[in-house]
Amino acid sequence: MAPQVLEFASEDPIAARALAALYHAAPATSEPPTLRYALARSAGGYVATTPSRPPFGPASLGDALAFLEWRATEDLLNAGSPDAVFLHAAGAQVGPRLVLIVGDSGAGKSTLVAHLMVRGHRMLGDDLVRFATADGTFTAVGRSVKLDANALSRLPLIAAKCAAGVVGTLLAAGCYYVSPAAIRRTWQAPAGRPRAVLLLDAASRRGPGRLERSSDGQAAVYVTQKVLTAADGAGAGKDVTVRLLDGLADVTAYRARGGDPAAVAEALEREAAA
Amino acid sequence: MTVAGNTARPVGRPDLRLRRVGSEWVLYDAAQDKAHVLNQTAAVIWTYCDGNFERSAIADAIAREVPGLDSTRIKDDIDDVLRRFADEGLLQ
Repeated sequence: MAPQVLEFASEDPIAARALAALYHAAPATSEPPTLRYALARSAGGYVATTPSRPPFGPASLGDALAFLEWRATEDLLNAGSPDAVFLHAAGAQVGPRLVLIVGDSGAGKSTLVAHLMVRGHRMLGDDLVRFATADGTFTAVGRSVKLDANALSRLPLIAAKCAAGVVGTLLAAGCYYVSPAAIRRTWQAPAGRPRAVLLLDAASRRGPGRLERSSDGQAAVYVTQKVLTAADGAGAGKDVTVRLLDGLADVTAYRARGGDPAAVAEALEREAAA
Repeated sequence: MTVAGNTARPVGRPDLRLRRVGSEWVLYDAAQDKAHVLNQTAAVIWTYCDGNFERSAIADAIAREVPGLDSTRIKDDIDDVLRRFADEGLLQ
């Protein structure tokens, strides 16, 4: 089954700019869209239209964008493709290595991915990654990267892009929704099997940024627990776990230590080059 | 008739899936939705849990596969690993 093709559109120039420059960056495709999302200007603000819910709004542009992202994520999960599942994970290609980054919300996945991108690497996603069960490969999801003011304080190039951007308020209060395409023209890491899994832990942020070896098996099991399931339970199949383990056969696991994501990114580069 | 954990020729549950992940192995129990991380020795022992090998034969096989290991240590490891397999309900 072909992946869902999402289309985001608006005739309003401000909303269209936000969608194009600071929101989703779905890869170019000639396939017709299967899920359509739109933003329209109205008297009281912006109205978001999605395939599966009544229109949302009028609301601020930030709220309307956040609503679209929430619905797009839910629609992807509910599509229930037997060929793919989504993982709550981040990922990037660092040198020749595809690195899967896992950790709970707030562990720093988005911040690390943003640092990797400004250092020239491509990403799979900052908190959503697609896994194809048929061939065991991981592919990018064209979603925005969510960065808060603290993260942006150490990412001046991205912060400059956010100066004219939109702050999300519904899902991630105070976070900027930054399209990966606004950071790098070629942002999308090629599909593949990861060679490394990086565990992020919010409790391990003290000291200089560095990597420590971790249990490959435990890391893989942790990844299998990150499969997102739709409200109807789709995506929770037992076979998915086995196929995920197959897809992780060649990984080396690391745990990130320290509070400096730039140093962790640099350490990842060193490991990739080794 | 075999008794889990104390069988002469241990038999692993056939529905479990063993997968290599990096330098380790994961034995996945779909019925319990539980994954067990095995080290290299435990994974090798698991591959001999097919009802055809007594513990002494497993020890001999591992000694051949991994030269230099102390035979007493190997037998202790096998006893320990099989006990854990049994405790986790991985043997028939």
